[in-house]
Amino acid sequence: MSLPAVDVLSQFLAQQPEPVQRVVDTVTTGEAIAFWVLGPLALAGALGMLFARNAVHSALWLVVTMLSLGVLYMIQQAPFLGFVQIIVYTGAIMMLFLFVLMMVGRDSSDSVVEVIRGQRLAAALLGIGFAVLMVGSVGRALTSVQSKGLAEANTTNGGNVGNIGTKLFTDYLFAFELTSALLITAALGAMILAFVGRDGKPARKTQKELVEERFQEGKRVGSIPGPGVFATANSVATPALLPDGSVSEESLFEVIEATDSSTLSDDLAEVAGTGHQPDSHALKGSES
Amino acid sequence: MNLLVAQAQQIEAPQIDYGAIAPLLVVLGAACMSVLLEALLPKHQRWAVQLVLTLGTLVGATGALIFYATSERPAQGVATLAGAIAVDSPSLFLWATLLVLAFGSVLLIADRSVEPGGAFVAQAAIRPGTIQDRAQATKTGMQTEVFPLTLFALGGMMTFVASNDLLTMFVALEVLSLPLYLMCGLARRRRLLSQEAAVKYFLLGAFASAFFLYGVALLYGYAGSVKLSAIATAAAGTDRSDTLLFAGFGLLVVGLLFKAAVGPFHSWTPDVYQGAPTPVTAFMAACTKVAAFGGILRVLTVAFENTQWEWRGVLYGVAVVSMVIGAVLGLTQTDVKRMIAYSSVAHAGFLLIGSIALTPEGTAPGVSATLFYLLAYGFTTIAAFGIVSLVRNSDGEATHLSQWAGLAKRSPIVAGVFTFLLLALAGIPLTSGFIGKFVVFSAAIEAGLAPLVVIALVASAVAAFFYLRVIVLMYFSEPAPDGPTVTVPGAFTTIAITLGAVVTLVLGLWPTFVLDWAGTGTFLS
Amino acid sequence: MTPTYYLLLSALLFSIGAVGVLVRRNAIVVFMCVELMLNAVNLSLVTFARINGSLDGQVMAFFVMVVAAAEVVVGLAIIMSIFRTRRSASVDDSNLLKY
Repeated sequence: MSLPAVDVLSQFLAQQPEPVQRVVDTVTTGEAIAFWVLGPLALAGALGMLFARNAVHSALWLVVTMLSLGVLYMIQQAPFLGFVQIIVYTGAIMMLFLFVLMMVGRDSSDSVVEVIRGQRLAAALLGIGFAVLMVGSVGRALTSVQSKGLAEANTTNGGNVGNIGTKLFTDYLFAFELTSALLITAALGAMILAFVGRDGKPARKTQKELVEERFQEGKRVGSIPGPGVFATANSVATPALLPDGSVSEESLFEVIEATDSSTLSDDLAEVAGTGHQPDSHALKGSES
Repeated sequence: MNLLVAQAQQIEAPQIDYGAIAPLLVVLGAACMSVLLEALLPKHQRWAVQLVLTLGTLVGATGALIFYATSERPAQGVATLAGAIAVDSPSLFLWATLLVLAFGSVLLIADRSVEPGGAFVAQAAIRPGTIQDRAQATKTGMQTEVFPLTLFALGGMMTFVASNDLLTMFVALEVLSLPLYLMCGLARRRRLLSQEAAVKYFLLGAFASAFFLYGVALLYGYAGSVKLSAIATAAAGTDRSDTLLFAGFGLLVVGLLFKAAVGPFHSWTPDVYQGAPTPVTAFMAACTKVAAFGGILRVLTVAFENTQWEWRGVLYGVAVVSMVIGAVLGLTQTDVKRMIAYSSVAHAGFLLIGSIALTPEGTAPGVSATLFYLLAYGFTTIAAFGIVSLVRNSDGEATHLSQWAGLAKRSPIVAGVFTFLLLALAGIPLTSGFIGKFVVFSAAIEAGLAPLVVIALVASAVAAFFYLRVIVLMYFSEPAPDGPTVTVPGAFTTIAITLGAVVTLVLGLWPTFVLDWAGTGTFLS
Repeated sequence: MTPTYYLLLSALLFSIGAVGVLVRRNAIVVFMCVELMLNAVNLSLVTFARINGSLDGQVMAFFVMVVAAAEVVVGLAIIMSIFRTRRSASVDDSNLLKY
């Protein structure tokens, strides 16, 4: 009863690559070129991260390294891992680093003055020594070993992704489930260290509560009158007038009332009609 | 659609022996439940409910463990979950040790009588030094998330000692470490010190984990698999160069020794022990050491036994360094918590002697001795830190040694119990510490490590000096007039201290039961 | 060129990361150096997976990524909380606890 489109789609999805018989794994020219471009790039990124003064620059150099490593995984017959490296490691984790650096760590650049004398020199010597040791031992260790390659594993039973999935649910099932504990702990930790709860302080009153309060107290229900109309003056200190011509006390602000009255006397006089009268040369409307 | 279903390969789910791993599942399941309760309960109910859940979990897990241990089970152990978890006699012993020590630690964590509101801050996100922070110092709430974090850490520790391959061990290492990094930063008093301890522990811990992981990678390259038994088989004969094996071993061991606080990888220990809240220090000092040495024992005995002649010398040297650092630097300390931290470095050296005591015939007499020592040391440590939390002044805990002068005059019971615990740490007869040292050193002599035992005895004597110095200070000095007071502990702290002290005494007088239990069976290989 | 070259690259990256942890002062940069070390180990794992002909190495590298993600969350939360208190992420300023 399925639609032809669905049939075509499921046939497409169910395609498997032709199973490859065991092939001796050799390093092709393409792979060699990619390695010699990306390898030094990754190293440059690492050294850039180490020597950059600005922390944000360090993070960006590390992004360069991680992207190169992502491509190196892809050419080493680990396509899924290459994509996960770029999407998850570079795309999520390094972006998180950049966020935090922008928020907190940007301004503090490392000082040149050393706290422990000779620490940098000692660390550099130790690092070079360790590098020489590791490179020497690893380099000598595998000279006679023939690489088996993953051609078979990547083309049977669902390919690279399918086989990784199978392993996750059979051989490494418990480790897979245990990482959930790790992720819960991470979420819990972030919450503890970053979330300030509302601690018994009363919440802000809602609009409804404010209105009820205003009505119950029996005070004025409407809003208070604003300052005087801007026909005669444009100062906020201008009092509003009630219908009988008297000044409305409620439109006066305490702050302005505290102002020295002499500075406001002109405005008050204007309103009361005792202010400065224009002389005969002033332009008037059709009043006279 | 049918095509997809037809072509989908049926995956065989791995066999799971639920009875064997029941304690582990109980602890992890309860931790998840605890997080859920944290989200759903109103604030005032959290402490009580979480406490009941946590203690109930520990009792339940212990019950499941006893049920499995006394039932019909293969004598050599069971490897379940596709060989990832090995439930053998040492695993069961270590699980029982961890569960009981965790019980004592949780009692200390939950105690709210010694300090109003408990040793944990009410809201960790409030910055120290602000007005809100001063206001919250006296509030009686606490971050009850500490309970699920403790359960997760315990779950990680239990997996770590039972893991049969290095990947599970790595994930378990991280599962046990991350909650501890968080808990170190949650002290109520002296928050700056606490946050600093958390940062130091975190950075150094991540650094050590990276070394552990590189070791795992090299061993995978050597053996083609990360199962411990596969590494042992490969070590017996393979076409790969041995350099990979030993480089991998070296890096792996660096990570493990860091976690176990063995010198020279101990630099985090004094700072973190001092800065963390005292109940968390008790939990770390006891349970993390048990877990770390459980892992070391399993890795050395199962994976590397055939190659022991190559690496014994190195670990020999490391043990000597650790004992010397612990003993000598402990002498210069003026803070009680730092002093106990350095003494734990010395004890780690003794435990390492037990771990490397492998005879050429293939028996490992050191395994049972180390297991016993871990149990004894754990209980003594929890009780010791419980007492440290009782001596307080207006600022919080009074941990400077000068403030402990003349304590015996003000509180003879507390001083008496602390004296007994310090004598146990020093290894005086009639305490579990003496029996522990005795069995470890006997195993070492049996394995041909006699010079190491001589150095260990000298280090013990030096360490005993700084324990005795504290005892003399408590009994024979005049107390300062404005000195600290000794709080009368509530039920929880009293139970924890009593449990520790009683077990120390009982194991010192009648150790055979536990020694026999520790000696049954070996690691599953 | 053999797959061993990838392992040498990995060893070099690991050493650079280790030196970075010992030398840099900004706590966040120190943590980034730890991340570089984990990446170097991932490269080793993927290369060994290719050499051994099994996907175990790739699955392990995948787990390392998950663990690194969780560790980054916790670590940055801790570092942020200490920064907000002290207005500085320098590890030199963590000097209250000493000998």
